[in-house]
Amino acid sequence: MSIGKETLGEAVRLLREAQETRTPCAPLRERLLPAGDVASAYAVQRAMTEQAVAAGRRIVGAKIGLTNPAVQRQLGVDQPDFGVLFADMAAFDGAEVDVTRILQPKVEAEVAFVLGRDLPYEQVTVADVVRATDHLLPAIEIVGSRIANWDISIVDTVADNASSAMFVLGNRPVALPDVDLRLCGMVLEHEGEPVSVGAGAACLGNPLHAVAWLAQTMAAAGTPLRAGDVILSGALGPMVPVTPGAVYEARISGLGSVRTRFSGLAG
Amino acid sequence: MSISEMAVLLDDAAVDATAIPQLTLSHELDVDGAYAVQEALIARRLDRGQRLVGVKMGLTSRAKMAQVGVHEVIWGRLTDAMAVPDGGELSLDGFIHPRVEPEIAFLLGENGIAAVAPALEIIDSRYADFQFTHPDVVADNTSGAAFVIGAWQPMPAGVDNLGVLLEVDGKVVQAGSTAAILGDPRRALTEGRALTARHGLALEPGWVFLAGAATAAVPLTPGAHVRAVVETIGTASLKVSR
Repeated sequence: MSIGKETLGEAVRLLREAQETRTPCAPLRERLLPAGDVASAYAVQRAMTEQAVAAGRRIVGAKIGLTNPAVQRQLGVDQPDFGVLFADMAAFDGAEVDVTRILQPKVEAEVAFVLGRDLPYEQVTVADVVRATDHLLPAIEIVGSRIANWDISIVDTVADNASSAMFVLGNRPVALPDVDLRLCGMVLEHEGEPVSVGAGAACLGNPLHAVAWLAQTMAAAGTPLRAGDVILSGALGPMVPVTPGAVYEARISGLGSVRTRFSGLAG
Repeated sequence: MSISEMAVLLDDAAVDATAIPQLTLSHELDVDGAYAVQEALIARRLDRGQRLVGVKMGLTSRAKMAQVGVHEVIWGRLTDAMAVPDGGELSLDGFIHPRVEPEIAFLLGENGIAAVAPALEIIDSRYADFQFTHPDVVADNTSGAAFVIGAWQPMPAGVDNLGVLLEVDGKVVQAGSTAAILGDPRRALTEGRALTARHGLALEPGWVFLAGAATAAVPLTPGAHVRAVVETIGTASLKVSR
């Protein structure tokens, strides 16, 4: 079961149009993508990535989504998904982000891995990931959905580049042995109030597991992770809808902090 | 119904492990009155030979406030009969619908905090369906039922964002942070001193202070092995009898 070229082109067109007109579209499932046809959803994502690269956008890494068992259950899946990170999706720590650029923005705190070696294996151990990791950074992922009301199924979010929008990296690299990635506490604060809390184990038991999954999935797809890639390994706590004008600060125990500031609605 | 009659109702409900209707369904009770009921309830247990060994904070996190629908920090009393040794066995016979949550505990010293430990708190509302209003839960000793304290550790420089896991049979069922406790569990102690003082109770050196839950509570089931893990602090565990 797989979708035809025309259907794929229509899915790409709808997602692009949603972003360009800043108007979310209806879910793609059923009308374009058969429910559960994750392979076709990735084909849509890949077509969009190819168009973006052709337009000059630079790929800098990948993001892992659906790393929390409760979220997986919600979407009826038993594994994570991934999307592509482009250089123009990065915002500086504390810099203002134009809230109107992102459709239905939400924020979540994550551990970012920066690779020092390629991970070209289709069978990957945690030891491979440890050896390939150059350093870690605290990160805020700003997710968004081109699908109206975040009414997503697995095929909707996969086609939509795993609901990615932007990301913010902290500035102080930390070595892997200096963080307890399973037990590290995470708090995302808005005006000094914790709005999301969690711990490393919330991400597939350990963010290292998520990166190992991504490495083998990307290698199997023929686009293996490379030295220099930035990997957003998955949320450590629930995602939080963005309030225009707000500042969010994520702190991860052992990793330091990172913030993002949103413009008001007027821009 | 008088304060002491309400205390008898709640005390009997706990002793018989039988849920009762919320007091506020049929009686006028405000929060101050509810703390008077709690004091009378605990006085009955002290008369039976139990000892006051500390206090516990409740509803110190947004998750918890949302779970029970009460939006103010509350406190209750701990007696020695509620203590379960770390790694010990707990029978559910004496409980109605017990839930467990991972916490952080402070040992109170002459000057502030003497030590810190991971902890498990078992809560068990004496009200039907675990449903209550703010005065109801205060009168019911803030659902307090039992607690486990892990090994005491020296207080680290910061306890404001330690990862906290709740494991059942080796599986992580909740993941959170001590930041869930009012942003920093030390704030719970400041609040606790002020709130208890308002009702004539001064916290004493040697007492245990349960600062509040770091995650949502989960039901306790027969045979379960339950463990709280706190980043850099350690673990506290219990085994539920079959």
